[in-house]
Amino acid sequence: MFDIDSKKNGIFAKFAPLAKRAEAVSTLGRQPFGMTFDAMLSPTRARVGNAEVVLAGTNNYLGLTYDPRCMSAAKDAIDRQGTATTGSRLANGTYSDHVDLESALRDFFGAASALVCTTGYQANLASISALAGRGDHLLIDADSHACIYDACRLSDAETIRFRHNSPEDLAKRLSRLPAEGARLVVIEGLYSMLGDVAPVAEFVDVAHAHDAMIFVDEAHSIGCYGTNGRGVADAQGVLDKVDFLSGTFSKSFASIGGFCVSRHAAFEYVRLVSRPYLFTASGSPANVAAAHAALSVMAEDTSRMESLWARAHQLHAGLVDAGFEPASPTGPIIAVPRPDELTAVREWNALLRAGIYVNIAVPPATPQARSLLRLSVSAAHSEAEIDQIIGAFRQLSALAA
Amino acid sequence: MTSDTSAIFDQISKILSAHAKTDTPITPETRIAADLAIDSVEMFDIVMEIEDAYDISFPIEEASDIDSVQSLVDTIGRLTDV
Repeated sequence: MFDIDSKKNGIFAKFAPLAKRAEAVSTLGRQPFGMTFDAMLSPTRARVGNAEVVLAGTNNYLGLTYDPRCMSAAKDAIDRQGTATTGSRLANGTYSDHVDLESALRDFFGAASALVCTTGYQANLASISALAGRGDHLLIDADSHACIYDACRLSDAETIRFRHNSPEDLAKRLSRLPAEGARLVVIEGLYSMLGDVAPVAEFVDVAHAHDAMIFVDEAHSIGCYGTNGRGVADAQGVLDKVDFLSGTFSKSFASIGGFCVSRHAAFEYVRLVSRPYLFTASGSPANVAAAHAALSVMAEDTSRMESLWARAHQLHAGLVDAGFEPASPTGPIIAVPRPDELTAVREWNALLRAGIYVNIAVPPATPQARSLLRLSVSAAHSEAEIDQIIGAFRQLSALAA
Repeated sequence: MTSDTSAIFDQISKILSAHAKTDTPITPETRIAADLAIDSVEMFDIVMEIEDAYDISFPIEEASDIDSVQSLVDTIGRLTDV
């Protein structure tokens, strides 16, 4: 594909195995990683070349990207404040809209402190790396998202992994730690690859029983679980016991950005020390306004969440009926494990030719080195679109042959 | 190799051979990634197994610096000698 200098210490030499893998994938059709959409038509439809496709892998859970309230808020913000802030939150990049959004997030989650960051990735990086310092311990779920691993690398704390979704395993590892230093347990509400939900309430009990604080990343679960979409911790009745809760604006919030809220007012000091918060430009006016509008929609109206779950049940049941075995019970993320990477790529291409776009996920981004066709449901999907997705899966073995 | 490190080597060899994707014989000089084709993600899983086998805390930051089987044995020796 691209020439790699074969010189022994050439800087690109390390990419040679990856290039070989990418080449094998590209012989099977379109390159699935970083695919280009030629036109977006709605939250659930796009044009690829001359073909219209149904989007079944967007994380656009509430389908608010084309909601008139979010669109007009973003356009109005550009009219009022321009296209960018051109500065960091600490310098010239904090506008009243950023502060108002933080206030709205505090109200929504009943929190004492809220920090708005420029991306969801940075929200975890900013919060976790600043909270856990030298001599402290981070305890993370083995299936944590890359941004949690990267936050650990940026932190001066030591990181211990525990077995995925196992509060018992966490308890064992917490009990081995020395008495000195603070402890922060990091879990996700809904795991992005397999779509499985964490037993957050049990984790809260274990963490607090071992003198640890708990941080829950609800990037994929806000908008989908809990009262008005407050997330999995809320759905399990422990929102008020969670010490830190993070989320992203790039999914249910139909924007880009991220946040972390805390029931501890002292979380505010993170603003003064966190590098991923300090050394990057703040969210653009349009992005902040769209996220705020989406939050208002969520707080006022549960009809989209109800549609999301109706479509999720329809898709999950349809895939099971078609002979597939989703990795988790019904939810907004439906992952279909495939036997190997090349089968998944072949099937992904076949689905695209049939007018269905799904995500493909392969190791090392997946747990247990699995290859997955990953679907996410949107409240904006119609029943007919879900039927179309199921229909394509029904014919998948013939389509991919 | 002392008797302690020799026992660690024996146990680690068993754990590593269960994860290895090559038939390379395991010696102290064996390189875990290059010779056994064990990637960094799998190495993190091995770290959890080692924590349980020795009832220790083994931070993943320590694992990042480990290249050879001997360096893994040395790290475990240090972490168990507390």
